[in-house]
Amino acid sequence: MNKFYHILKTLFLFGWSLFVVFPFLWALTTSFKDANAITSGATYIPWVDYEPSTQGWTSLFTTGSQGINIVGPFIDSAAVTLIASLVSLALGTLAAYGLSRFEYRLGFVKNSDITFFFISQRIMPPIVLAIPFFLMLKELGALDTIFGLVLVYVALLLPIAVWVMTDFFAGIPKELDEMAMTDGCSPIGAFFRVILPNSVPGLVVAGMFCLIFGWNDFFFAFTLTFTETQLLPVSIVSLNSSVTPWWSLSAFALISVAPLACVAVIVERYMSRGTMSGAIR
Amino acid sequence: MGAYGAPTSHRGVNTMLSSKHFFLLPALLTLVAIILFPLLFTIRVSFSSWDVFQSGLDYIGGKNYGRVFADERFWQSLGRLSLLSLISVSLQYTLGFALALAVWKQVRGGRFLRVLFLIPMMTTPVVMSVIWRTVFHESLGPANDILGMFGIGAVPWLSSATGAFISVLIVEIWQWTPFMFLLLLAGLVSLPREPYLAAAIDGAGTWRTFWQVTFPLMAPITIGALIIRLIEASKIMDTVYVLTSGGPGTATETSSYYIYIRGLRDFQIGYSAALSLVYLVIMIVSLTVIAKLLLRLLVGKVG
Amino acid sequence: MLQVDQLTTADPKVSLQDISFQFDAGNIYTILGRTGAGKTELLRALMGLNPLVEGDIQLDGQSIAKRPVKDRSMSLVYQQFINYPHLSVLDNVAFPLRRQGKKKAEAQLLAAKMLTTVGLGDFLQRRPAQLSGGQQQRVALARAMVKKSRILMLDEPLANLDYKLREQLREEFPRLVAGNDDSVILYTTTEPREAMELGNTMIVMTDGRIVASGPPADLFAHPPTKDAASVISDPPISFISGFVRSGALYFGEGQLAPNNGLHLPPDGPVTIALRPDAIEPGGAFNATIGLSEFSGSETIVHLDFDFGRAIMLVEGIETFEAGSRLSVSIQTEHIMLFASDGQNITTRTK
Repeated sequence: MNKFYHILKTLFLFGWSLFVVFPFLWALTTSFKDANAITSGATYIPWVDYEPSTQGWTSLFTTGSQGINIVGPFIDSAAVTLIASLVSLALGTLAAYGLSRFEYRLGFVKNSDITFFFISQRIMPPIVLAIPFFLMLKELGALDTIFGLVLVYVALLLPIAVWVMTDFFAGIPKELDEMAMTDGCSPIGAFFRVILPNSVPGLVVAGMFCLIFGWNDFFFAFTLTFTETQLLPVSIVSLNSSVTPWWSLSAFALISVAPLACVAVIVERYMSRGTMSGAIR
Repeated sequence: MGAYGAPTSHRGVNTMLSSKHFFLLPALLTLVAIILFPLLFTIRVSFSSWDVFQSGLDYIGGKNYGRVFADERFWQSLGRLSLLSLISVSLQYTLGFALALAVWKQVRGGRFLRVLFLIPMMTTPVVMSVIWRTVFHESLGPANDILGMFGIGAVPWLSSATGAFISVLIVEIWQWTPFMFLLLLAGLVSLPREPYLAAAIDGAGTWRTFWQVTFPLMAPITIGALIIRLIEASKIMDTVYVLTSGGPGTATETSSYYIYIRGLRDFQIGYSAALSLVYLVIMIVSLTVIAKLLLRLLVGKVG
Repeated sequence: MLQVDQLTTADPKVSLQDISFQFDAGNIYTILGRTGAGKTELLRALMGLNPLVEGDIQLDGQSIAKRPVKDRSMSLVYQQFINYPHLSVLDNVAFPLRRQGKKKAEAQLLAAKMLTTVGLGDFLQRRPAQLSGGQQQRVALARAMVKKSRILMLDEPLANLDYKLREQLREEFPRLVAGNDDSVILYTTTEPREAMELGNTMIVMTDGRIVASGPPADLFAHPPTKDAASVISDPPISFISGFVRSGALYFGEGQLAPNNGLHLPPDGPVTIALRPDAIEPGGAFNATIGLSEFSGSETIVHLDFDFGRAIMLVEGIETFEAGSRLSVSIQTEHIMLFASDGQNITTRTK
């Protein structure tokens, strides 16, 4: 029985691992193909199945009519995601700290209601906001700009930051802030001098979630930008609908998912330490 | 103030007050400005006839809403969305839990497997959908090629209604099972040790220990994870857009996608605003009901 | 000098009720009370961490009730060992000095000196988490003392330490705080012995009120109320009800004639407090032996009389068999009498 269970488990883990890596491997091998190799049906191993070519990769870095420029979209994506994540993290951390330490009251609205208001924004389907966002950014002259997207992404990421950090601060004893105040800090000073330096694990987790949701958004980038500002997901989709060959698509895809795939290593560390569980309950 | 005779300064109270607002107000105002005003605006727009031919805010009463309730394509998309999210989330949960349990106490290679299993959720859904589209290509993609090795004939992945639905399902499971895995494994790691000792002393086997100890202890996380995923799944549109464009026909058209077509492609702004609000309300109501049901089902059983 | 006037708060667990007191510099005040008596609430109210509903706090004649926490010249050592986890031991102690505007080098020098005083000179670069509980509490103490604030407050500082470390730190305490002649030291504890040993003045609290205060020995000898007596005594004092009639004290089937200078109040009901040393083996009263415990070189025996339960303290280790009968005597020089309103009405001729 035990042995049977063990074999079953190993098979399951092995099978799932294959399923997980399959699209990546397929994209990797496809990125080295040329037109001949593609049209002769599904093939897998370079040199054996087909003669590899590097045009899929070189085309991404050549400009002009022959090339597909990945550098521009990559920089735009990185800029929007990083700025929006930082802003959300800053605003969200302050708000979460305030909500965990002070009492707010506005009529019948209490702290828990405000926290819920923040977090509940995640339930809002993007499509509900797309039209007003479009019109709002148009009004501001911010359509198709990095600034406009950052504004929208902050709204998208702020709830995540507030959610993770509220739970994190709930786990830091109040006495620590009080001690800082008895030692001569103002309430704001206590936050910056004592609480913030001790919040690195929470900030890392919140920051990673912001990066993931920011980097991977497609819908808003798609509806709110056109030509001037182009993020990676939008560029690849526009390539997809044109006649762009699979090799360039595959190479493009691999480059655009690579940065965050590396983040998985950090996420794993925090998950195994149990830092994340507090954020879930 | 003076009438109550408070000669001492209020500086202390004031610094507490102002610092309290220093923390909360920036985020609150930002969110109100970026979310609440647009939402109110959408509500206003939904009572107008704003479209390609005539832009601006006139007032036509509840006409758009009447149209929503008669719009079969919308209700079908909603039914399809429910089916898709319920099936995909329950499969993600089951698989994610199984994976979490399988690597929970895995020492050798555990770290590697955990990182590997997390990677899909870090990848951009549309980007991976572009890859999956090539995988499901009927004559040139590997999906049919591999099935062919087992003697199974070509499956019309993206060109048949069922095939397209299953393709979307597979991609969703690939993408989001890691999220379940992440939450559930994080939960498993922080479980208390005592109940397991008690179960071991009682001589409970693996199976019984799971149902009597692990599963009940994981109930809160289970509920949280299911709700979060259902919320996210109810918004699905990226994958569908790239993979099938809602097709063939409207076979994989989800509500978000349909509203997108009406609003930003056909530019029926007023009507799509009404659609999106009806959709939002239905989402909130049904997710609340599901959350309540889950709480009663899982926590009721524990308690 | 710290003056507190009619301090009243509305805290979630216990609220302070109309507390007035004057604390003089150079003294150690031990605040004794059971868990939930309002000791921590008092310190937090003084510190400005809990809001006041009414009352005033004055430091050297100036009201500080509305001052922000940081401007009160007070420091507080918590029961839990909390230090700044992200700072080294040295920087922990230098932290308050830096906030006072001292230069880094000067702050670190003073911090190092203070750490040497508390016996941590060798651990300056460690993180608090790398120290034992006792050492962590020494860091907290050093951090509180280094600023030379006017008020030094310690909230059950030894409560979370294990027995040996507790004893050790308690013994050292007077030496550690020596030289704080300009400061008022407030020290809360649940242990009567600790309160009596460390304080020049002992303050007894129950239910958010100060019920007694004074030199520890006087308070122990003559607690003003029944509540105070019960908080101060360790091992616990036993109360039994009885009455006085025609010059004798009656309780249950027993009676006692006053001697050893004890004067009885007029006829009527009284509560008789039996200190553990008021009962001695051999005598006219019969009791059933309950549990007996050894505490150091003494034996504590729980006795069941027909008039109630009481505790007897016997020098040395002796075994008493539970369930068997024992006859004891009651020494009137160790009993106290309380009126029905709880006031101590014991009077003796010296």
